[in-house]
Amino acid sequence: MSVNKTSSSVDPGKNSYPFYPNHMFMEALVAFGALLVLALLALLWQMPLEEIADPSDSAYVPRPEWYFLFLFQLLKYFKGSFIVVGTVVVPALATLFLLLWPFLDRGEETRLSKRPRSLALGVFAILSIVALTMLAVVEDSDLHMDLPPIQEQQLAEGEDLFNRFCVLCHSMHGKGGFMAPDLTQVGARVNRVYIERVIITPQIVSQTTIMSKVPLSDEERHAISAFLARKK
Amino acid sequence: MGKIYQFIDQRLDLTPLLRKIADHPVPDHANPLKTRSAFIYCFGGISFLVILMQILTGAFLMLYYVPSPDHAYASVSYIKNEVAFGGFVSNLHRVGASAAVLMVFLHMLRVFFTKSYKNPRELNWVAGVFLLFIVMGLGFTGYLLPWDQKAYWATTVGLNILEGVPLAGGFLADALRGGSEVGMLTLTRFFVIHVMFLPGLLILFLAAHFFMVRRQGISHPL
Repeated sequence: MSVNKTSSSVDPGKNSYPFYPNHMFMEALVAFGALLVLALLALLWQMPLEEIADPSDSAYVPRPEWYFLFLFQLLKYFKGSFIVVGTVVVPALATLFLLLWPFLDRGEETRLSKRPRSLALGVFAILSIVALTMLAVVEDSDLHMDLPPIQEQQLAEGEDLFNRFCVLCHSMHGKGGFMAPDLTQVGARVNRVYIERVIITPQIVSQTTIMSKVPLSDEERHAISAFLARKK
Repeated sequence: MGKIYQFIDQRLDLTPLLRKIADHPVPDHANPLKTRSAFIYCFGGISFLVILMQILTGAFLMLYYVPSPDHAYASVSYIKNEVAFGGFVSNLHRVGASAAVLMVFLHMLRVFFTKSYKNPRELNWVAGVFLLFIVMGLGFTGYLLPWDQKAYWATTVGLNILEGVPLAGGFLADALRGGSEVGMLTLTRFFVIHVMFLPGLLILFLAAHFFMVRRQGISHPL
């Protein structure tokens, strides 16, 4: 009984229109559009399998799905015994806040302009999540692999190794194989960490790549990535 | 069509039920033709659509997927490379997971900023928060299933973080992992959680969510 009284569902007629068929038709259109977008994304945004799980390969640096990155990033700021702040305190408080929010914010006013505190809180939450996610992405792409800085003699060694292995398939300045992409300006397109990762796991480029793993020591791989990263 | 409907209606008296479902007014502030900003009201519906798509694509993936460390990777690889449209369906499921989280989040922002959670709709907000966590749980458990390097090590790291939580963390991590390392039991547990427990909870909470929406109507902005 009280449900009907307190719920502010509108009267049929003046300021509303029927769900069926009018609104339903629009919903069908929106659903069709959404499915189309999803299908296009599924076609364009290929997410290949990596290599099969290897429990002994603890050097592998995993990343969670993007929507967990902000939580993951949060943990990086709490070290040692403070780690519980990142793993428990902040997430638990946020969860509690989320669950209890309608009971904490009891005012009748719904206009955003009259709810400055809610507005601030919402914007703060969005900005924190976006900022943490972006920080995680940035740190991932550049800082995560701690590469020794490039030294000049590495470049010669890298070139030497490149001419022994890579040119069998890749080309540079018009010389080399034609089985794989030209690497003349590879350093302008991708960063050094990415080059390292491709050498370690060729499948990150494409699941069906024919590129093989070349048996290289870490130093040799660093030399090749240094050489290639300078090819801008 | 009409005759078939009459036959069923005479016996089951469906018309009042259908009336109840279909005959309700939609306020203008949720009608994009009348109010331009009404598109923010579509995120909840799209979330539901994506969830339906996840259930369907997930069911098709289960036709081939084998939840054991010996076969999981090969079966996913088979789905992606050999099965007709398998690559597309598995990609769709993967994209759908991201879309579900994003849409649920946008839906929550809409409800927050329009204050649709105020009296009498507090409980529906709470149900929505549970739905968000269920969807994220589905994302976490699904991530392990392909059993590639990323899957294995991301789950290992995730469970190690859980293990570090005081009091219940160690117990929970062991229960999910089924041992001291991510292995066969972890994979079967994550699989069953991903395809049975969480979808069941999801459907229960969705039913409650929709029941409350229809019972209380679309909220009215002032």
